[in-house]
Amino acid sequence: MAGSAPSAEDGTNGDPAGYPAGVLAAAVLATTGVSFVLVGSAALWLRGESIPVGDADVVIEPGEQNMRRARAALADMALQPHAVPQAARLAMLDIVTIMTSYGKIDCLLRRGRLDWDRLRTNADVMLVAGAEVVVAAGSDAWKLRRRFKDVRR
Amino acid sequence: MSERSGVGAVQVAILEALAATAGRGFRSNEHVLREAESRIGLAPWYAYPVLVDLAQPWKMPVTLVDGQGNFGSRGNDPAASRRYTESRLTEAGRVVLAAERRDLAPVPVGLINGTTYRDGTQPPFRPLAVIEAIRHVIRHPIATAQDIVSMIGPPDFITGCTVTGDLEAFAAGLPTELRLQAKITISDDGQSVIVENIPPNITTDDAAMSIAKRAGQTSDLSQPSPLHTATRLDVSSVWDESNSRTPDGRIVCKPATGVPPEQVRDQLTTVYGVYTTIYVALPRSLSATIRQWVETNQAEDLAASLTALETAIRDAT
Repeated sequence: MAGSAPSAEDGTNGDPAGYPAGVLAAAVLATTGVSFVLVGSAALWLRGESIPVGDADVVIEPGEQNMRRARAALADMALQPHAVPQAARLAMLDIVTIMTSYGKIDCLLRRGRLDWDRLRTNADVMLVAGAEVVVAAGSDAWKLRRRFKDVRR
Repeated sequence: MSERSGVGAVQVAILEALAATAGRGFRSNEHVLREAESRIGLAPWYAYPVLVDLAQPWKMPVTLVDGQGNFGSRGNDPAASRRYTESRLTEAGRVVLAAERRDLAPVPVGLINGTTYRDGTQPPFRPLAVIEAIRHVIRHPIATAQDIVSMIGPPDFITGCTVTGDLEAFAAGLPTELRLQAKITISDDGQSVIVENIPPNITTDDAAMSIAKRAGQTSDLSQPSPLHTATRLDVSSVWDESNSRTPDGRIVCKPATGVPPEQVRDQLTTVYGVYTTIYVALPRSLSATIRQWVETNQAEDLAASLTALETAIRDAT
């Protein structure tokens, strides 16, 4: 089911320029056709939480074709394209961080290998400035965030 | 971290080695490192990145090592090999060493420099403000937390970027994320938008690349979508004018035809590199940190050590 990103109540007032950079990073990545679930602070922000968005945390769907697509898209967005690992390597790594003009994109690759089906089943598609972004359920996003961070809620 | 200065063990070994091998002159870092590493049993050349950090003037507010030769730049250029660089102690480095050797009372250099330059979580503060706050607590042991925090002010990064975020939570000792932003101004002739004082946790090369990428990503779209509107950067060209005379970075952006520079200025605030974020956390509240430092060290002549440190800092600027 497609939902829409928060607007009036979150301060964006429907103005697409009001999205945090981390959310826009996910939207730009989504337009490339890469299959992923947005988690972390950007997902929580889209779920209506009042939370600062530092970066985009994405769980990438495992599979050769999607890894190739992800590699190409990330290299296109990266400030240092040569630093993006090849697709075959992405399929084996745990986490890869890419610096882009939208900030950091943390690709949680191991989480995708372990948990993709469950995360995707619980997730919803939300519209971000016209782009369809698959956003993790709030409970899943909080669970992953607590695992990696100790930032006050 | 050393209790006498708050400086790390490898850093202290480097300072000791510099004092032993270089005296007041410059000394090849190959010799300095051999000496430092033998003192604390480190593997060969392990300490060079630490020494480079100590010598790069854009890394921390109180520079402890004076470097000669190619120590890299704020761009992506690394320092030259240890064989081609030389070092000597700065006056502040001498003060730290004197504190370590107990010739002076402790100095709060670790507290001032923080650890974010090495991916730690403690940010730097204005050196003289920290010294003044410590003196205030010595003179007025019942100074309020608010007094102490307002005297020190927010974290202060040496590149001069602005710092925003939940500063109250930070001062209270809670982990939080701060936003660091470069200064963005419009040139006097209104023809360009200038980005300076780039945050310390990104290189000037990457910041310029980030601006260029964003401009490139959005300029070739003929059908503006909402996402295009949200991410557009209406810049026709970008020059990176960062050099040794502008160590905090200077990137000049020319607005696209017909685009007001004010619009580009606003758009630039959404480009990573023009802003960054940083995760910060103090071990306890800022006021408690200062109080504890004073309580731990007040049996010694703090007035003398603080004056020595202040003099070294003032002389360096």
